[in-house]
Amino acid sequence: MLEVSTVPVLETEGLERRFGGLLAVKDLTFSINKGEILGIIGPNGAGKTTVINLVAGIFPPTSGKIIFQGQEIQHLPAHAINRRGVARTFQNVRPLEDFTALENIMVGALFGQGQNLAKAREFAREICDLVSLGNFDRYIDNLTVLDLKKIEIGRALASKPDLLFLDELMAGLNADETAEMIDVVRHLQSRELTIIVVEHIMAVVRELTQRCIVLDGGAIIAEGSYDEVARQEQVIEAYLGKEAQHAGGKEFGCYLW
Amino acid sequence: MLAAGSKRQFIYIAALVVVAIVIGIWEPHALVYGVQRGSLYAVIALPLALILGILGVLNLAHGEFLTVGLYASYILFNNFGTDPLRATIPVTLILAAIGIAVYLLTVKHVLKAGHLSQLLITFGISLVLSELIKSIYTTQPRSVFTTYSYSSTTVAGVRFGTYEFLYLLVAVAVLVSLQLFLKKTRLGQATFAVGQNPRGAAIVGINVSFVYLFVFGLSIAIVGLASAIMVPRVAIFPGAGTPYTMKSFALSAMAGLGNLNGILLAGLTLGIFEAVVNAIPGGSGWSDVVFFGVLIVVIMTRAIREGRR
Amino acid sequence: MMKKVLFVAVLLLTVSLPFFTGPYFLSVFNTIFVFMSLALTWDMMLRTGQLSYGTSGLFGLGAYASAILVARAGFNPLVSIALGGLFAGVTAFLLGFAVLRLRKIYFSITTLALTTVFSVVIRNLPKLTGGASGTVLPSALFNGDPAANYWMIFGLTLGIIAISAWLSRSKTHYAINAIRNDEITARSSGIDVFRYLLLMFVITSTLQGVIGAFYVQQYAFVQPEATFSMNFLLLPLAMALVGGVYSTIGPVVGAVLLGLASEYLKLIMPYGHLIVYGVIIVLVVLFMPQGITRPIMKWLTRKTNVGGVNSASIGN
Repeated sequence: MLEVSTVPVLETEGLERRFGGLLAVKDLTFSINKGEILGIIGPNGAGKTTVINLVAGIFPPTSGKIIFQGQEIQHLPAHAINRRGVARTFQNVRPLEDFTALENIMVGALFGQGQNLAKAREFAREICDLVSLGNFDRYIDNLTVLDLKKIEIGRALASKPDLLFLDELMAGLNADETAEMIDVVRHLQSRELTIIVVEHIMAVVRELTQRCIVLDGGAIIAEGSYDEVARQEQVIEAYLGKEAQHAGGKEFGCYLW
Repeated sequence: MLAAGSKRQFIYIAALVVVAIVIGIWEPHALVYGVQRGSLYAVIALPLALILGILGVLNLAHGEFLTVGLYASYILFNNFGTDPLRATIPVTLILAAIGIAVYLLTVKHVLKAGHLSQLLITFGISLVLSELIKSIYTTQPRSVFTTYSYSSTTVAGVRFGTYEFLYLLVAVAVLVSLQLFLKKTRLGQATFAVGQNPRGAAIVGINVSFVYLFVFGLSIAIVGLASAIMVPRVAIFPGAGTPYTMKSFALSAMAGLGNLNGILLAGLTLGIFEAVVNAIPGGSGWSDVVFFGVLIVVIMTRAIREGRR
Repeated sequence: MMKKVLFVAVLLLTVSLPFFTGPYFLSVFNTIFVFMSLALTWDMMLRTGQLSYGTSGLFGLGAYASAILVARAGFNPLVSIALGGLFAGVTAFLLGFAVLRLRKIYFSITTLALTTVFSVVIRNLPKLTGGASGTVLPSALFNGDPAANYWMIFGLTLGIIAISAWLSRSKTHYAINAIRNDEITARSSGIDVFRYLLLMFVITSTLQGVIGAFYVQQYAFVQPEATFSMNFLLLPLAMALVGGVYSTIGPVVGAVLLGLASEYLKLIMPYGHLIVYGVIIVLVVLFMPQGITRPIMKWLTRKTNVGGVNSASIGN
């Protein structure tokens, strides 16, 4: 395993986001160092995707700070944050319909990085190799779920991020496909790329991450390696207390190796 | 903007009353006229807001349905001698039927096709309606004359028309009926549910398709009602209803989605504002611009408030 | 190769039209080019996912700006055409800045109101604009020479075709399509959505203003009813829809087809022929949202993957 640096790439301070009467994220403070793979887990509705949306700039926090590579970004628009080096995938894949798979990925290179058409095309090709995406000249209605997920991650990678959020990348994949994706993500880890994995499938979290934070009701209830947090009482309670853990339990059985 | 949060709405109403009194002292005609016209705007805007809120569709043919209603009232008056107030019920029903027909033929099929298709289709319908009327009746303006619509009284030395207070009456009546409908009847509650969450409503067993059909028909029916009560006081020509589409939308945007009471407030506000502008020398041609200006301001305010969304 | 030869042939034919047709046909094609330009610019904005109903408004604004400059300030007509476009562009910039943050229906209905509002403003400034009865300009463009006018509008239209075609090959094409397909994905991939929308709105509005200015200089007459006519909104829309939106060839084909048809229509149906265009719009959206060009081309070339717009509807 690569040595993790101690330079923080992302820090949040007292992050809070309110939607009308609902407090989706409260007083969230955490940090991640360069080169780490951090897992964010928690039952449904715990606020995991909200955290991604906040850092990626989809909407601003109601209060708190987000410090990326030493600079506050909480009030920047999403496209500016992407250009600074934060990329993310979406839980429900959002492929662009009027483009081929390759062109989808090119979009990330063209605007996230600001390359010209020729370079972007080349770079996108490389990324297709990196994620083992074969049918890159096909339009999206001809592609499998696995391919679509690869497009998601490919497009995010094409903007050459320093920080990459993977939002439930494994959802909807069978065991083989999940294994393939885990491999892809593992190969991405380097000193240059910091990854935050939001996942429901515990085995994936255990495989990929060195450290986790557990969210429940918008707040952090535990922090540590996967094995450490999985044992903690409040974590078990958070999961057992909600319906989501039934599905989690089945998956445990499937993917525990 | 006029969010239903009761404290804010209360402050707004209080402010409006104060402003109204000031205007009443300065230029009483403006106040009276403003309240009357404003109520009419509210009656006409409510149906647009209904379709917008429940179906999520902006009916660009809204004003043209109003024109159809005006002509329907005219035909009943001219060819059958029906008094416009008596014609209210038949016109309302005729418009409901036309609305349902249009919905079934066109709008129904684009409900899932995205906002571009919906905008285009309702725009096409608006053209078909107005051009159809134009080809049958030409652009020559017509009118319906009744003596009672020109009755007036004098209060404190100020003389003003009384017929148009009917608009205020109808506005309140329609608003109250709608609220009662939405809260107390099963169909109304179903409608409200569909407006909040169509998928959830479908899961619970509500016939969403029927609700859509009903709301569209109801909306056009209310437009018919409005046309019948306003027909004695306006010029009837193919473009008569067209400005009301934008005005109705301005009111809906001001009030905010789902806020029916707010539409009456917004209507009164803009009606008075428009009347004030008209009272200023040289201001009489600018009423459309007033609404447009308000619309832009509302949009900008909303955009700022929604932050980076 | 075949395509290029065909293209050059058509180009040569169209350029040399004044040499073998009379003034009537020239004016028909002149009008077709005017509408073709409007159809193209409308489509260019539609590609961003925003439907502008302001075509006739910006057209009229450019028209009036140039008319006022010539009639009241003695500007050279050709210069005034450029300035008319500029004026429309600046107006679009200010308006877009206010309204493009909230898009879709808010944008569309605001642009729909544009025509009426501009028309009212024009009517209420009679000293400047001639009010409701309009203004006659001192002289017509090129002294009314049909060939010169024809070549001018042809040149303008060709320019707009070039811009539209360039747009579909450039980096901007990716941004615009991404914005139209999924705005959130676009934003997350580094695309400044607002900037692109504003840019497209300003460009298309400027072009519409230029065309409006040209049109008015040609006839040497402005009048609110004629200049802000629904014609200049309805026909271009119908043309682009029939020909096939989100493309350059679509509005071109649609303009030729409907332009010629409209000449015929005017003869047999003097009143209310606009109704046909309303019906066309409804029918196309319901039954043929892709327009006719793409299916025909597909059938002609029998390619399996023509690509691009696959969805069975226009909206998203």
